[in-house]
Amino acid sequence: MTLKYLIQKEFTQIRRNAFLPKLIVVFPIMIMCVMPWVMNMEVKNIKVTVVDNDRSTLSQQLVHSIEASNYFIFKGQQPTYRAAMQEIEKSRADVVMVIPQNYSRDVTLGNQPQVLIAANAVNGTKGAMGGAYLTQIVTAHVNPDVTALQSRVSTLFLYNKNLNFKLFMIPALFAIVMMLMTGFLPALNIVGEKEAGTIEQINVTPVSKWSFILAKLIPYWIIALFVITVCLLLAWAVYGITSVGPLALIYLLVLLLALFWSSFGLMISNYSDTMQQAIFVMWFFVVMMLLLSGLFTPTRSMPSWAYATTYVNPMSYFIEAVRTVFIRGGGISSIWHQLLALLGIGSVMATWAVLSYKKNS
Amino acid sequence: MKQFISFVIKEGKHILRDKRTMLILFGMPLVLMLIFGFAITTDVKNVRTVVVTSSMDHLTQQAVDRLAASEYFTITQLVATPRDAERIIRSQKADMAIVFGPDFASKRSGVQLIVDGADPNMAQQWTNYATAVMLNADGGVVNTRMLYNPQMKSAYNFVPAIMGMLLMLVCAMMTSISIVREKEKGTMEVLLVSPVKPLMIIVAKAIPYLVLAFAILIIILLMARFVLGVPLVGSLFWIIAVSVIYILLALALGLLISNVAKTQLVALLLSAMVLLVPIVMLSGMLFPVESMPRVLQWISAVIPPRYYIEAMRKLMIMGVGIKEVAREVLILTGMLVLLMTLALAKFNKRLE
Amino acid sequence: MNAIEVNNVSKSYGAVKALDGVSFSVGRGEVFGLIGPDGAGKTSMYRILCTLLLPDAGKITVDGYDTVRQMTDIRRRVGYMPGKFSLYEDLTVEENLQFFATLFGTTVEEGYDSIKAIYGQIERFKDRRAGALSGGMKQKLALSCALVHSPSVLFLDEPTTGVDPVSRKEFWEMLGDLKERNITIVASTPYLDEVRRCERVAFLEQGRIRGIGTPEEILTRFADIFNPPGIEHAQGGEVKDENVIEVEHLVKAFGSFRAVDDISFTVKRGEIFGFLGANGAGKTTAMHMLTGLNQPTSGTGRVVGYDIRTEHEQIKKHIGYMSQRFSLYEDLTVAENIRLFAGIYGMDDKEIARKTDELLARLRFADHKDTLVASLPLGWKQKLAFSVSIFHEPGVVFLDEPTGGVDPATRRQFWELIYGAAGRGITVFVTTHYMDEAEYCDRISIMVDGKIKAMGTPEELKRKYNQPDMDHVFTYLARQATRSSD
Repeated sequence: MTLKYLIQKEFTQIRRNAFLPKLIVVFPIMIMCVMPWVMNMEVKNIKVTVVDNDRSTLSQQLVHSIEASNYFIFKGQQPTYRAAMQEIEKSRADVVMVIPQNYSRDVTLGNQPQVLIAANAVNGTKGAMGGAYLTQIVTAHVNPDVTALQSRVSTLFLYNKNLNFKLFMIPALFAIVMMLMTGFLPALNIVGEKEAGTIEQINVTPVSKWSFILAKLIPYWIIALFVITVCLLLAWAVYGITSVGPLALIYLLVLLLALFWSSFGLMISNYSDTMQQAIFVMWFFVVMMLLLSGLFTPTRSMPSWAYATTYVNPMSYFIEAVRTVFIRGGGISSIWHQLLALLGIGSVMATWAVLSYKKNS
Repeated sequence: MKQFISFVIKEGKHILRDKRTMLILFGMPLVLMLIFGFAITTDVKNVRTVVVTSSMDHLTQQAVDRLAASEYFTITQLVATPRDAERIIRSQKADMAIVFGPDFASKRSGVQLIVDGADPNMAQQWTNYATAVMLNADGGVVNTRMLYNPQMKSAYNFVPAIMGMLLMLVCAMMTSISIVREKEKGTMEVLLVSPVKPLMIIVAKAIPYLVLAFAILIIILLMARFVLGVPLVGSLFWIIAVSVIYILLALALGLLISNVAKTQLVALLLSAMVLLVPIVMLSGMLFPVESMPRVLQWISAVIPPRYYIEAMRKLMIMGVGIKEVAREVLILTGMLVLLMTLALAKFNKRLE
Repeated sequence: MNAIEVNNVSKSYGAVKALDGVSFSVGRGEVFGLIGPDGAGKTSMYRILCTLLLPDAGKITVDGYDTVRQMTDIRRRVGYMPGKFSLYEDLTVEENLQFFATLFGTTVEEGYDSIKAIYGQIERFKDRRAGALSGGMKQKLALSCALVHSPSVLFLDEPTTGVDPVSRKEFWEMLGDLKERNITIVASTPYLDEVRRCERVAFLEQGRIRGIGTPEEILTRFADIFNPPGIEHAQGGEVKDENVIEVEHLVKAFGSFRAVDDISFTVKRGEIFGFLGANGAGKTTAMHMLTGLNQPTSGTGRVVGYDIRTEHEQIKKHIGYMSQRFSLYEDLTVAENIRLFAGIYGMDDKEIARKTDELLARLRFADHKDTLVASLPLGWKQKLAFSVSIFHEPGVVFLDEPTGGVDPATRRQFWELIYGAAGRGITVFVTTHYMDEAEYCDRISIMVDGKIKAMGTPEELKRKYNQPDMDHVFTYLARQATRSSD
């Protein structure tokens, strides 16, 4: 019964704050409108420069086929390898292709000419992808049979036929928005009451730990529901992307994630003495959980010790499940174990949040 | 001078006494370096593959064996129809299915790869790898050389980025918070009324954070070299010189934030909004700038860490001379002069 | 030439006029009082004098220098202790003092004599972090930090709020020494005895100077504010022979330091019990144990029939509490605060609505029902906080320095509320540093260094120690104890 009054108080306080209501509305909009454009790890616009030591008709053909490819930006030719390397050092080129002197003769005689491809691999993905595409072009040019062989393999991309990166990232953005909205705000909540001194007044009232903490959690769950609705609407309106699987499951997942983050935030808040401390500690955990969640890179590529952390990382469960539902159209049978894991981790954290709040020292 | 020193000492004590914050400040670079260095990779590994075939003939068996033998793929199941395979992929038990035609051996029908396309980059790489493994096509005609980073470790790319992020956060966020805290607590009034020059208060506040930033820089460089095995091929002198410009720039930013913010909370949120999010998202740290839409590229052009990270990648990893990063250094210096002038001009010697 | 000349100074924040045509002058070596209720504009005045704010209109010189143009010269000459003087909580007592000494270009050794009387009392805690000190001890440290150098003009904005009577006397004796060195002092204070120690005072109200003169002139002219008629102890609240609080051999130790050192006492139903003591004597710690915020180290206690060790959540249902740090939610309105706390004690909507209207009518507060608490004057906040703490008609209400920082008229109104509550049978357990308030209590205990040194009715105590009033009784006991602890 007292819960009602406590929840009312939390909402009034959030509403009265000069900053929070704006944050809650503007932040998801900003994230949803900007981030899908930014979080694009597609490798594009690779700059190629060529050193043609052969200067034959065939080598010129090869150069033209690179120029014609819309995957590369052709940066012209350089007289020597050394000059081409300087282009790389000045960042005017990413990949250098050196055509050997006897290229034309080797190709006509059926020998294997040795074309050198040197890629700037500081960014490993970019180097590898550039190298691989260039290799394809060269191979096809030297040995048309391989092309024929390749054509026997056809590929069907499920769920994301156009390999749209936005579709991949948008459900993951839900996770980021949830984390920031329902994790950081509660982290500042109790420590804020400590700094204002009002917590002492609450501590001498008969209010129970559970109802006090629950009253602080519930508003964030409602905020989570509001925020996810905004996100889903924006995904549809701006990008024309909608969930393939049932929406109810998405909401359920979001609630479970909000349960974890809001409890985690309050738990950190209970242990902190100042807002600064709360934010820093929060930030630390957020960065770790986010990087190891599989949001940016596949979890299965991680070494086994790092992969082991995903068993306790709710972000990892959420992202896997939300992508399954949203992109692949999975139902409850595909994600039941993630749901259970999220519920388990969330409940443990909520209990911890209650137990770490001390009314009496 | 004595006042100045005692100021610096006092500020140092504030930092040292807050054990939790210290732990985070030094724990963060360690953990980030380890995660980026060892945990995060986009390597193709352990791709769970389902084989769809109605008749396992000799050639199919050979192709499957080749896949299973490679470190990239793990064959998890054999099923009869593509529909079964699709169901398995949907429930996240597999990433890819390889469908062999019923008469694969007779070379008339081909192979179809059914790939979970949710992650476009990985989907494409899996396709490339699977095709290569099955056809056993070692191009042979191409000799690829990966410059600067022959093993293609992601750490090479991320070490400069971590430096750019952490130095900015330590200097800008911590300085602004520590100034605003004095305003909020009321001690700033006393400091301002004291005979100490206001400018000196600010300089004294900045020095411990400068030292801290250096400590973090050294830790990162040492870890990069000895734990992650990233070679520091460039000139150490220039690496440090450019970092100094960047650290000063971050301090100027912190000072500006402290002028605007009235409470610690606002300073924290401002730092997070103005610094953290753009740095992580728009500086080219994680996502390449050139893949962004034009408008965002313009925004990214005014973000200082972008130039610092770029300069560090070139200086540290590629080992180019200072001449090759002159553009980045000039832009950073220009920003530093601008921000420092602005910050000092806007610095309040009174309360309002 | 006068040390300070203030000529027709005005200052507004948006539409609010904080200062409106203020003029006064202070002679060199004078002790000048700037008094007035909370929100009168005193703090703005100090900040303008210290060059921290620019006035909208008017001209001020301090020590012959103009506050607008010659900022640096003034800052080299003045000392300032803001009302909200805050220490560095993560530095130790000694480190704080050293830092401020160096800041003002002196050393602790050089300035030691001028702060000895006050710093001596907290010196034994010099290795403790300032954040771990009690409110009053922090104030003493802040005073020491402000006085460690000798400026030519000293501005003190309510320096003694929350400081016990003995230390306040010592503080003013220190100011006397400074005056002898020809240092000009401008101070503000809510205590009448301190007002009387000024040579001249200016009474500031709503941004305007209402009068300047000797303390006696001003106190008589504005007697309705400074010297309200004493209150009669309202009858009707009968003290019953039933113990509401029983404490035996209660101890609270933090490491080797015994903050509360073996105290025993009882409080009867309907009594107004004054719990007095110097800063750091252990009053707040004792109160925290009685209200269930803290566990005792040893000893037993029962409050409204429940054990403080095991049944603290039961106790919380039957008590009210008003803490030293003002503790209503500033971002909620008056009605919302009442509703929240009433709801916590299990009242339903209808009852809350009815009782809220009743209460606001009684306090003549009905117009401010939907005002944010943050925008109320301090005196109103205190009255409201008290009314909220007894809204659920508890058996006992604990008040920790409820009237800090307000003028005598407002304090008198507050005590009328206390008498009203006692009349309804609520036991009142109150700490205060105002000795006139001590006289209003039925019974008093005086705590020194964690122990109860004296207990009885004000009359009994005065008789026993042969002193004219409670102020002298307190000073007598506290001074004695300080000597014995050295």
